[in-house]
Amino acid sequence: MNRFATRELSMLVALLAIWAFFAWQEPVFLSARNLSLLSVELAVTAVLALGMLVVLLPGQIDLSAGSGVGLAGAVAAVLVFWHDVPAPVALLIAALGAVLVWSAMGALIAIERIPAFIMTLGGLLVFRGLHWLVIENQTVPVVVGGGQNVYSLLTTYYLPVVAGYALAGLAVVAIVASALAARRRRQSYGFAVDDGEITFLQLFALAQMVFLVVIVTNGYRGVPIALVILGLVAVLVHQLVTNTPFGRYLYAIGGNEEAAVVSGVPVRNAIIGAYALMGGVVALTGFMQTAYSGASTSTVGSLMELDAVAACVIGGTSLRGGRGTVLGVLFGALIMASLLNGMTLMAVSPEAKYIARGSVLALAVWLDLRLGKDR
Amino acid sequence: MSERIVLEARDVVKRFGAVTALGGVSFDLRAGEVHALCGENGAGKSTLIKLLAGVHPHGSYEGEIQVDGKTAEFHSTRDAERAGIAIIHQELALFPDMTVGENLFLGTFPQRFGRIDWDRVYAQSAATLADCGIQLDPAVRVGDLGLGQQQLVEIARAVGRKPQVLVLDEPTAALARHETDTLLDLVRRLRSRNVACVFISHKLDEVFAIADRITVLRDGCAQGTLTAAETDASEIIRRMVGRRIEDHYPRRQSTPGRTLLALRGVDVKAPGDGALALHGIELEARAGEVLGIGGLMGAGRTELLLHLMGLWGTRARGAVELNGRPLLARNPREALAQGLALVTEDRKRFGLVAQQGVTFNVSLSSLRSLRRGFFVDRDREAGHAKSIVEELRIKAQGLEQPVGTLSGGNQQKVVLGKMLLTQPKVLLLDEPTRGIDVGAKLEVYELINRLTAAGQAIVLVSSELGELLGMSDRIVMLCAGRIGGTFDRSEATQERLLAAAMGRLERAA
Repeated sequence: MNRFATRELSMLVALLAIWAFFAWQEPVFLSARNLSLLSVELAVTAVLALGMLVVLLPGQIDLSAGSGVGLAGAVAAVLVFWHDVPAPVALLIAALGAVLVWSAMGALIAIERIPAFIMTLGGLLVFRGLHWLVIENQTVPVVVGGGQNVYSLLTTYYLPVVAGYALAGLAVVAIVASALAARRRRQSYGFAVDDGEITFLQLFALAQMVFLVVIVTNGYRGVPIALVILGLVAVLVHQLVTNTPFGRYLYAIGGNEEAAVVSGVPVRNAIIGAYALMGGVVALTGFMQTAYSGASTSTVGSLMELDAVAACVIGGTSLRGGRGTVLGVLFGALIMASLLNGMTLMAVSPEAKYIARGSVLALAVWLDLRLGKDR
Repeated sequence: MSERIVLEARDVVKRFGAVTALGGVSFDLRAGEVHALCGENGAGKSTLIKLLAGVHPHGSYEGEIQVDGKTAEFHSTRDAERAGIAIIHQELALFPDMTVGENLFLGTFPQRFGRIDWDRVYAQSAATLADCGIQLDPAVRVGDLGLGQQQLVEIARAVGRKPQVLVLDEPTAALARHETDTLLDLVRRLRSRNVACVFISHKLDEVFAIADRITVLRDGCAQGTLTAAETDASEIIRRMVGRRIEDHYPRRQSTPGRTLLALRGVDVKAPGDGALALHGIELEARAGEVLGIGGLMGAGRTELLLHLMGLWGTRARGAVELNGRPLLARNPREALAQGLALVTEDRKRFGLVAQQGVTFNVSLSSLRSLRRGFFVDRDREAGHAKSIVEELRIKAQGLEQPVGTLSGGNQQKVVLGKMLLTQPKVLLLDEPTRGIDVGAKLEVYELINRLTAAGQAIVLVSSELGELLGMSDRIVMLCAGRIGGTFDRSEATQERLLAAAMGRLERAA
């Protein structure tokens, strides 16, 4: 428990240090406008990282996520812009396609035992090539003639101020209700629960954070819909990995695959399922990231798989599988998104950005090993 | 043998969590002696030599280790190697795709102008091998050698580093007779050069053939050090066994009901080469009955259980019936669904997700039946886990304690609990009491009684004849993949079981 706290605390300190540094260098970092932008960038990074979590839990990896993001966004953009397909239909087609392709990769990994690293490395190259083929190396906007559609709104729609507060209220009520239910449940089975006062303080702090986010984003245009999407995906993935048999199987496979087999865990199906889910997440991230750029270009999604892996690892996910939480991944994604956002504000050169991203990734793994040693 | 003490452990205590593996053991080793360590599985032999070899670093144990009369603080196996202690583990650490010569010199290759001097590697390898009395071509790939020869290469590698102390952990377990002789000769040769050897073996004839002194361990405590010439095998066995409560087998028989598991003329092909590994297996387990399965190493006991679960081999002939219906299991999932469950011998590898908690592990095999809609019903899950913990008396700090930190006995109970939650008709237990303490053993036996009283059938595989005799209602002995004999409890004796296991059962009587 002590170790755990050390780890969490050092990550929190790291985040605060990053924020303090950027705020000192570029005071505009803490402006409502920038924080709103940051929240959209966070949403894009975090959604993909949550998908990556689901793949990492059973000890797999997806290196093709970034180029998949580019491809899925490109397919949807091309359908909308060149073929006049209605945006919702285009998104659905691209998403279904992604789920199918990722399921196939999962099947090759789980049944044919092609190592995930190699399979998805191959996918990385293939999808990048297909991406450029699909957009014919041009810039393909996500909407015709500067208008709006479901696709473009993914990162440009903001909830009205009142709706934002209403949503925050609902979220807080839901969180408190589920926390109290869990507490009652533990008590009814005679398990120890935290002191009531501590629980109250935790919930109070959480509620404050939710409202703080809404207040800050309302200071610009309102709560970005992308952030709401992230919230939904986070709740969904959290429920999936902690409270469904499928999620338990993922942890079991990552923890000890041989024991999982003997225990009757459907190992193959679980791994294929994880990749199928990843396909959906890749498509969703692709739509958001492409919408954020306004158009599909040859660089959309490039290297995003590494940001996703970094976010997971910073958040305490084990690359060997079996360990990782949604909350941790959200935290890791916030660190990665803050770094990228701050460096962009400071007009750091792309070269330096790459070096910083890579260093943070290596540093996070090193820290994880150091802090996780005695566990 | 000189009187100079080269290595000494003083009152060492080593604990793993709540389990005390060594409870204050003192042990000394003199230059030029072969000192045997004897004791049953779990007596603490391996733990002791791991302390001496720096596997368990200084600070993780109490007491003191001295080398040449000076306190030694090994922080890693390298420290121990530098102090001249070489250890040969049961699991070989050779590189199968490299030659004997490469294996001997790995890490210490002689070089010339920055390149490896291969001529010298092979010349010196040949010299080292000859020196050890091993007839082997150093240019042969290690993977092409038999296990016995590999063992000799491993020893030659250690000898090449000119150790002061050589520790051999069951070096002869996998060796044929003539290979064992070569190995014992090698040990004698080392002794004549004043190397001190620690020799661990279960085979007492070997111990008496080679050892100068013998230290017996039991339940983590030294039971005396004896001079080999002044004692005999029965004295050693008496000290190894002591007076043990696990000799009490509390089997309560119940009247057997209908047949739950039946194998009729089952032939099974091994995976890989496809050769027949099990021949014409006939056996039955009835409700309320414990069917014991015994046999020597490699007789096919574990393979038979794994085959039933759909984990091993393909059936060439014969039929398996579970509860009156043909058993169709291509994997454990299907076997569990039909009411067959297995507790494996290697619980760490096949039984537990170590970093997860008790609840997670206990419910892993029955999550589907614990569903409410899409979700696992956490309330029912926690309730089931709690009742299992209480029923099996699993000692854990709460239901979320990672099972990797539990003691062996409690880990075994977690695996048992997981299988019980699937409500099997027939429970297959492969060495269920191996490596767990005496109290936990008794609890496993009591559990077997409760399960059979409730009408389940138990198939108990054990390599301890006492356990088979004490806990089974009927016993099947396997011998090289065939049935060597089937016995009722009343007609079984240790001698007859052993004879059946060795294929020498007289059909009379």
